[in-house]
Amino acid sequence: MNILITDDEALARGRLRTLVEELGHTVVGEAGHGEQALQLCETLQPDTILLDIRMPGMDGIETARHLMVLDNPPAIIFVTAFDQHALQAFETSAVDYLLKPIRRERLEESLNKTGRLNRVQLAQVSDEQQLSRSHICTRSRNRITLVPVSKIIYFMADQKYISVVSAEGEVLIEESLKSLEEEFHESFIRVHRNALVAKSYIVSMEKSSGGGHYLVLKGTDNTLEVSRRHVPSARKIIKSLGG
Amino acid sequence: MEQDNENDVLNETIFLPDFCGIRMVLTVVVVAELLAFVILLMTSIDRPMSWDRLGVLSLFIQWIALSSIAILCVSRKWLIRLNDTLAGYISYFIVLMVTLVVSELAYWSMTSMGIFDNLRSHVDFILRNLGISAILSAITLRFIYLQYQQKMHMQAHANARIQALQARIRPHFLFNSMNTIAALIRSQPENAEAAVEDLSDLFRASLSNAQQLVSVADEMELVRRYIHIEQLRLGERLSISWSLDDIPDAALLPVLTLQPLLENAIYHGIEHLPEGGEIKVFGQRKGGWLNIVIINPCLPPDSARRSQGNKMAVRNIDERLQIAFGKPAGLTVLRETDQCRVEVVFPYQEKK
Repeated sequence: MNILITDDEALARGRLRTLVEELGHTVVGEAGHGEQALQLCETLQPDTILLDIRMPGMDGIETARHLMVLDNPPAIIFVTAFDQHALQAFETSAVDYLLKPIRRERLEESLNKTGRLNRVQLAQVSDEQQLSRSHICTRSRNRITLVPVSKIIYFMADQKYISVVSAEGEVLIEESLKSLEEEFHESFIRVHRNALVAKSYIVSMEKSSGGGHYLVLKGTDNTLEVSRRHVPSARKIIKSLGG
Repeated sequence: MEQDNENDVLNETIFLPDFCGIRMVLTVVVVAELLAFVILLMTSIDRPMSWDRLGVLSLFIQWIALSSIAILCVSRKWLIRLNDTLAGYISYFIVLMVTLVVSELAYWSMTSMGIFDNLRSHVDFILRNLGISAILSAITLRFIYLQYQQKMHMQAHANARIQALQARIRPHFLFNSMNTIAALIRSQPENAEAAVEDLSDLFRASLSNAQQLVSVADEMELVRRYIHIEQLRLGERLSISWSLDDIPDAALLPVLTLQPLLENAIYHGIEHLPEGGEIKVFGQRKGGWLNIVIINPCLPPDSARRSQGNKMAVRNIDERLQIAFGKPAGLTVLRETDQCRVEVVFPYQEKK
C-alpha cells in the first residue's frame, strides 16, 4: 500500500515512516503542511494519507475537505496528540483516527480498514467544531487551485456556480452562497441576493445616478450593487471600519 | 515549608487582626465615638442632651479603646504563638483589665475635679463599666473571629483553585513530548534520555506548591529544560533570543511563572507559523521593580484560524503574582497585529 505521511514535525514523520515500513507498506512521500499534502496527493496518488490535525497554515481537517475534490481521493487516517474537540467530532461521525504516540497494532488495524471518508462525515466534523476554512479549493483542468480566504474580495452567485473573486483572479466553485455566508460570517457580509463581500476590502459606499447604492472595493475595479435592504448593515460595517 | 513571612500571606494563621495599622486605629476611634453617642442617647432620656457630657464620655471610651488596641498591638508578637482560643481569651482579659484601670483613673480624677459628683459609688461605677466592656468586647471578638474564618475559607478556596490550575501541564505538550521521545529512542537514544529527564523536572515543578517562591535562576533552569524538549520537536522553526542580564538571578518569583508563558508563545504563536519564528525574552530593572517581557510572532487575530483562548494560564499567573507580592505586581498581555507581547512585573526581593 502506498502511503503519504503529513506532519509538521520531522521527528513525528520519521517515527511514522519507521512504523509504516515495518508493517510492509511503502511511504511514497512526506509532507510538512496541508498545502504540500494536497499537491503530493495529486502527483503521487497515494492509497492512504496519514494526516496530522494540528499543523500551521491549513490544518488536517481542512486539508481532508480539500482532498475530496480529487477524482480518486486517498483514504484518510487522522493523527493527533491531543485535541478534545476533534476527537469528539470524530467519534460522532465515525471517522478513523490515531493517537500519538501511535501504537504499531493500532496503525496496522487502521491501515487494514482503509475505510474512505465521505464529504458528509468531514462536513460534520468541521461543523461540530465550528471551523471555517482558511482556503477555498477548486479544480480546473485537473489542477488543484487554492485561494486563501484572506485574499478573497467577494463571492458572486451566478446560476449554478459561484465565482470567487480575489486579487489574483477569479475561480468558480460549486457551493451555495448561503453555506458560505454561514461559514464566513465573521469576515464577510451579504450585500445582495447574489453577493457576499469581505469586510476588509470595502472602501466606501456610493450612490449611483439611478438612486441605488454600490460598493467601491480594494484590489478590484469592479463595483458591487448593494440591494436596498442590505444598505443599513453595509453602512454599519463601513462605520465600524473607521471609514 | 518555611517561607518568607512578608511574602506569604497564606501563612497568616492568627485570627486577631493587626491593631497597629492606621486603618484599624481609625476604625476603632470611629466605633468608640459611636458608642459614646449611643450611651449619651440612652442616658439622656430624662434630661436635656449635653455636649459636655458627650465630651467626657468620648474621652473615657476613647481612652479604653485606644489603650486596649495599643496593648494588643504590642502583645501581638506573643499572641500569635498561641492557639486561637487562648489568644482570644487573653485579648478579652486585656480589654477588661484596661477598662478596669481606666475606670479607676477616671473615677479618681473626676471626683477630685468635681465632675459627676452624683456617681453612686466607686464599686458601682467600676462594675457597670466592666459589664459594658465585657459584653461589647465579646461581641467584637466574635465578629472578628467570624470574619477571619470567612477570609480563611476564601483563601483556601483560591489556593485549591491555583493548585488545580497549576497541576495541569498542557496535555498537548505531554503527548507530543512522549511522541518525540518514542521517535528518538531508536535513532538518538542520548537525546531521548535527556528528554525524559527534562520532562521529569517539569512535572516535579508542576506538582510543587503553587505559591512557592523560587529564584529567577531556578525558574530559568525549568524554562531551558522545557525549551530543550520543544526544540527537539520543532527544530529550526523555534528560535529564542534571551537578554535577561538586568534581572538578578536571586530575585524571587512564584514557581512556573515564566515557563507557561513560553509554552503559550509556542502553542499559540510558533506552532501556527509554517516557517516558525523567534521568541524574544528580555528583562529590565526599574528601581525596586523587575519587568520580564516575552514577545512572540503570531497569526493576525482576524485570520481564519480559530484561536483558542489562553486566558486561563494568563489569569492564573497574574493571580499568583498578586497573591505573592500584592499590586501592582502582575501580568499584562498586549496583542498586536502579528505579534503578542506579555509583560511580567514583580518587585525585586531576595530570599532572606
